[in-house]
Amino acid sequence: MINKDVEKILLKVQKPGRYVGGELNSVIKNKDEVDVRFAFCFPDTYEIGMSHLGMKILYSLFNEVPYIWCERVFAPWLDMEELMVERNIPLFALESGDSITDFDFIGFTLQYELSFSNVLNMLRLANIPIKSCDRKELSRIVVAGGPCACNPEPLADFIDIFFIGEGEEVDLEVIELYRQCKKDNKSKDEFLRLASQIKGVYVPALYDVEYNDDGTIKSFTPRDNAPEKIEKRLMMDMDNSYYPENFVVPNIEIVHDRAVSEIFRGCIRGCRFCQAGFLYRPVREKSVETINKQCHTLCNNTGYDEVSLSSLSSSDYTDIIGLLTTLNTWADSEKVSISLPSLRVDGFSDDILEKIKTVRKSGLTFAPEAGTQRLRDVINKNVLEPELMETCSKAFNSGWTKVKLYFMIGLPTETYEDVEGIAHLAQKVVNEYYHCENKPKGKSVTVTISTASFVPKPFTPFQWYGQNNRETLMDKQLHLKDTITTKKINYNYHDADTSFLEAVFARGDRKLCRILEKACEKGFHFDGWSDCFSLDSWLEIFDECGIDPDFYALRDRDYDEILPWDFLDYGVTKDFLRKECEKAYKDTTTPHCRLKCSNCGANRYGGGVCFERR
Amino acid sequence: MKDVRVWFTKDDECRFISHLDLNRCMLRALHKSRIPIWHTEGFNVHPYATFPLPLSLGFRGEKECMDIRLVEDYSYSDIKDKLNSCLPTGIRVYDVREPVMKAKEIAFASFKIKLSCEDISADELFKLTNELLSKDEILVDKKTKKKGVREIDIKPYFSDTKTERNIGGVIIRCTLPAGSVTNINPLLLQKAFEKYYDIDVYFDVTKKELFDKKMKAFE
Repeated sequence: MINKDVEKILLKVQKPGRYVGGELNSVIKNKDEVDVRFAFCFPDTYEIGMSHLGMKILYSLFNEVPYIWCERVFAPWLDMEELMVERNIPLFALESGDSITDFDFIGFTLQYELSFSNVLNMLRLANIPIKSCDRKELSRIVVAGGPCACNPEPLADFIDIFFIGEGEEVDLEVIELYRQCKKDNKSKDEFLRLASQIKGVYVPALYDVEYNDDGTIKSFTPRDNAPEKIEKRLMMDMDNSYYPENFVVPNIEIVHDRAVSEIFRGCIRGCRFCQAGFLYRPVREKSVETINKQCHTLCNNTGYDEVSLSSLSSSDYTDIIGLLTTLNTWADSEKVSISLPSLRVDGFSDDILEKIKTVRKSGLTFAPEAGTQRLRDVINKNVLEPELMETCSKAFNSGWTKVKLYFMIGLPTETYEDVEGIAHLAQKVVNEYYHCENKPKGKSVTVTISTASFVPKPFTPFQWYGQNNRETLMDKQLHLKDTITTKKINYNYHDADTSFLEAVFARGDRKLCRILEKACEKGFHFDGWSDCFSLDSWLEIFDECGIDPDFYALRDRDYDEILPWDFLDYGVTKDFLRKECEKAYKDTTTPHCRLKCSNCGANRYGGGVCFERR
Repeated sequence: MKDVRVWFTKDDECRFISHLDLNRCMLRALHKSRIPIWHTEGFNVHPYATFPLPLSLGFRGEKECMDIRLVEDYSYSDIKDKLNSCLPTGIRVYDVREPVMKAKEIAFASFKIKLSCEDISADELFKLTNELLSKDEILVDKKTKKKGVREIDIKPYFSDTKTERNIGGVIIRCTLPAGSVTNINPLLLQKAFEKYYDIDVYFDVTKKELFDKKMKAFE
């Protein structure tokens, strides 16, 4: 629904379709007949937020409950924000068009650190006090979940409740508690204390932090009976977990505009840089029957003619061929194409290729992540050069002429030799093309290298590692550029400035709340976008607050230092991460979960890959 | 193979779907409805649908149409019901018929426009509207695809325009050239308000009807 004030400005902004709602399958309820109004906020644009699977799952799940009305809210783009501020239009929800100022819950999903400024900016635009302590009444409870909640501390002053782990159960338990507390006329404090007793709930206000003189954490102490360790929540039985039968179908084009089925959660691989690979352990698969049913239902209900099988590494699904065969019993005749993102270099088999005929010929992307075998062993990527060559040759022989290769720069133990290795590997792929007998006639090959700067993340074996400073990263980028001698190789690199700020917030503590508060006062937003991001402006704030960002990003931490996120328990033990880190420095790999259990700790959940028959 | 013309309204939230997005939205609804329509046979196979006269972003449309091609006989009322169940509520199919005229015969479109302005009273706005429309010439900049920006006199096109003072504000009704040869967007008048009186007038535009060059209703 479009409210009257918004209607007048819609034709003055780009893509007004972002702000109007009214899409197929969006849920409209009568606000007088619900007890809880939930504003599900994605701190980025409509096109990005609407592509996010987690939001689709929770939106449908919440709205299945008759007493909850969950609505979607996105960050208005710069032009819209300017007009909203100018005309005093508070941030509104798409379904009702109502301002979210007095909603019961304001929920954020935290997908990347650089969206933190948007979280606060959205609260500000909604006329909601940004600090938890300034919101005294039992109303507009600000909650947050998602991967970045694994180090919630930089947002501790602003968020009332963090959901740790997967949200399907814990979110509803907290909403139900709120509804009870509201009925019983309880205060916000009472509600928060009760909520802290629910497994998977973190209430930052109930913890006190003391620091050592050197700025590291001295103690982290719960109050009011709040738990010392907070265990993540997760869904163990994926076949019987809630999955939506319907997606809201956007009227304007979004980033991922297709039906999606999650084929499993977690990843068996254990790449040491990858946070998702540790946070979502153990691997839990859905059965072929469940996936097939979900895909078919979704396509029927949305009209999408493309379905994507989502996971961290699709070719690791135990019966991927059986799955694709089953899907093709209807997909082909109903003109639905299947896409398989996140294919590993060693998972690109002829069988799979044959089943997904619709893979677009425009480009293939693989992620070797590091240029030399030694460094790939350090990060436990477990991809061998011959595997990459074989895969590329398969692709070239079936008509592809463009390959994209993703790498990281600034990985632990990296030398300039490893950096040069990236260029050499790309050169070998170019050479491979000319050795292929069935390569497309008369066409040249293009290999595109993209490098991102490595950002050490919590709950990975590299959580203690000090990031390369920006000068080093840029020097390595230039060195790689100089090593490339052919025009058949293109090189793109990711700006090191954003990676630095990401590293600061990824492993930050509560002291950073002051930085974010200032950033909000100064109107920072959309820091994930080059249109807005300026590291210099951020550094100014750090300077004003007397906080050294290098302390968080660049410092090598001791194994016995109390890390800001140590009180959270994602199933993987700190001891395991430490052993993995030590192995990394000895260039030693760890076999994946299906080859051998490495005792990470996730088997205590009693299911998933840990108990598969081998 | 049989050509059919699907008639629909476009209003509410769906006013803000651009023409390109409307096209995708319709294709998705056609796919979902499983109506047996003809698919293009090119590299990227998709259901075939064309729109005789695209509607500008933000306008309401009371008589919009889309041409599709059936590969087998199919009940027209089923097409209507199925498409409606697959489309967002802001787009409603109200009729499905065989096309009588060709798309290129469209020559005029009629509009009803509600004018409102926050800076002046409705009476003043009414006065200004009449004053503007009675000028000898109304010169505004018009963007063209080929020649860039060009100044044109829109007075001749708005000579038959009727104005009306009503409870909420001012309503004007006009019929303007539309179609493949000449197109005059009613929002050019909004620009004239800005240029001549330096006021921001909100135009709530509804496209009412299409005509051929003899002013016969497009069918």
